[in-house]
Amino acid sequence: MAMQAPAKRDEVARNTGKPPGNSLSTAEKVAGWYPFIYGEKSMVAMSTNPLAGLLRKSPFKPIQQHMRTVYTCVELLPSLFDALHERDLEKVQQVSSQIATLESESDLIKSHYRHNMPKTLLLPVDRKDLLSLIHEQDALADSVEKISQILTMRDMVIPVAIKTGLDDLLRGTVEISHQALTMIEELDELVHVGFSGKEHDKVTRMITGVRKSEHNIDKVLRTVNRTLFGVEQELDPISVIFWYKIIEEIGDISDHAENMADRLLLFLSK
Amino acid sequence: MEVIAAYGTILIVLAVIFGLYMTWGVGANDLANAMGTSVGAGAVTVKQAIGIAIVFEFAGAVLAGGNVTKTIRKGIIDPTAITSSPEILVYGMLAALLAAAVWLMIASSRGWPVSTTHSIVGALIGFAVVGIGPDAVNWGKVGKIVASWVISPLIGGTIAFLLVMSTRKLIFNTDNPLKNAKKYAPFYIFLVGFVISLVTLFKGLKHLNVELTAVQSFGLAILIGLLTSAVGIFFIRKVKEDPEADKDFHFASVEKVFTPMMLFTACSMAFAHGSNDVANGIGPLAAVISIVTSGGEVMQSSEMPVWILVVGGTGIVLGLVTLGYKVMLTVGTKITELTPSRGFCAELAAASTVVLASRTGLPVSTTHILVGSVLGVGLARGIGALDLRVVLNIIISWIVTLPAGAVMAMVFFFFLKGVFG
Repeated sequence: MAMQAPAKRDEVARNTGKPPGNSLSTAEKVAGWYPFIYGEKSMVAMSTNPLAGLLRKSPFKPIQQHMRTVYTCVELLPSLFDALHERDLEKVQQVSSQIATLESESDLIKSHYRHNMPKTLLLPVDRKDLLSLIHEQDALADSVEKISQILTMRDMVIPVAIKTGLDDLLRGTVEISHQALTMIEELDELVHVGFSGKEHDKVTRMITGVRKSEHNIDKVLRTVNRTLFGVEQELDPISVIFWYKIIEEIGDISDHAENMADRLLLFLSK
Repeated sequence: MEVIAAYGTILIVLAVIFGLYMTWGVGANDLANAMGTSVGAGAVTVKQAIGIAIVFEFAGAVLAGGNVTKTIRKGIIDPTAITSSPEILVYGMLAALLAAAVWLMIASSRGWPVSTTHSIVGALIGFAVVGIGPDAVNWGKVGKIVASWVISPLIGGTIAFLLVMSTRKLIFNTDNPLKNAKKYAPFYIFLVGFVISLVTLFKGLKHLNVELTAVQSFGLAILIGLLTSAVGIFFIRKVKEDPEADKDFHFASVEKVFTPMMLFTACSMAFAHGSNDVANGIGPLAAVISIVTSGGEVMQSSEMPVWILVVGGTGIVLGLVTLGYKVMLTVGTKITELTPSRGFCAELAAASTVVLASRTGLPVSTTHILVGSVLGVGLARGIGALDLRVVLNIIISWIVTLPAGAVMAMVFFFFLKGVFG
């Protein structure tokens, strides 16, 4: 998703007044994206107009921006495994460091978000549910990072027997993550209609879709694990353990996506 | 008596100066806050807001400001005890004006959300208690006024809540929101014109000697409503669907329809504000003029001359143009979370409530009612995040403003008494 980068850079340039470029640290980039703290002064409204302090920035936009970052991270998984398949260790390193950067950006967004959710806010949804949602989203990126870490710390070789299964798994994982992203993108529409009506039904269908996808991925997971079990005697035992670990982590990604859908269901039902 | 005869002109001049100072503060502060929502939602530019404010604030003050001015002028203080020394009332009114204006200045520089209405009422009570006696205060009326300060934001909130629900049912939750938005927009705009006119004109404008029966009032209100609707339809026709923006946010085009609608609520906010808050400055001024020109008649049975309302309007507009426009700019940039559809509901609710209060002669705080309306929208789960600490700040400012205004008025009163004797 390289095309996202220029748009983000422009936004950063607009918000921080600095020319776009790689000179900005991640912290500055994040700070540029989320002037979530009202104005320069944090807590109490420092204007004679109470309305300015009353209307805080939407708590849903940062969640959406966070999810976009997380999804960009997940999308890198197939290319990571492709590089591994081609035994291009340099490319593996490259993609891994991209993943690491994205993961720490999303961490920053998450902690920035947490710091700006005082209990005194009147929100259309439960504050705890919002914080849990961003936690689940972040867990997605964490899983991706764990996988890439394993692949860089050891020179792994994809067992031929599970190659097709693994490809299916990765495809399904990216797909369910995209479904989760689409779901999260509907959040601002949901707020607008007060979590009711047609939008409510639309998102409910999306949630069901995510659940179905997770169920299907579970099936593929079982198959892949079973296949690996079938050939594990022929492979180096330590590598096998790590492959089981990698498969488990990939499965975790879709679990987190399903948990996100559950959180959204809470928004709709309350 | 002699004081008035001797110093009559000076006292009037002082009254006009203090009155202008007070209304200037109201314009720089309060009005900017009231119009800021429309600016923030992108419905009007700052220049357009100033233009609207000039016209409608004046109109509100002249057409609908009579009752509140009467309350401030003679509804709160009962001066029967000092009929023989009317100059005390004059000093008191001057002191109250000055106190309220100074308090407003102090609070603005510190960024405290104080209400001009609360300041002047507190100041008047303060003077009355020490200048005449606790019995001179019409505590029954004061009780009603304080009750209205609590109830009016609630009413604004309720109306806003219902309006948001109606937009959801009629527009946002339908199969074709954009089509329905264009279909129902004229009815909402009609509401703006109709409600404001009805409340203002019901059974006539006494201080302008315009007599209207209930039926005539309804008829005229409906006519005005239809007129505003017609103008509104002209604006709405111009709104084009934006498919690009709709990809990002499905309701982007619908919000575009609400943007010109906020133009009308901006006018109504200015009108409502004029009807209620101009009185804060010119009520005491009217009292002083009445007492001096009648040669010391403390019961103020004279009718209020319209030119005083014009003076008040001028002061407010001056305040808006000199300082208020900067406030509007800052406020406007900070209130970006209020989309046009929400802003419309909040402003219509607030304007209606304020005009209703003005009709019944109750001085209320426009800003606080607007806050109540926005909270009403938030309770309908229509806004992302509202910081409730602001509500706490407002309550604290209530508790501080009344005594602060009262104490300052007392001080100024004794000072004036010392100077003029």
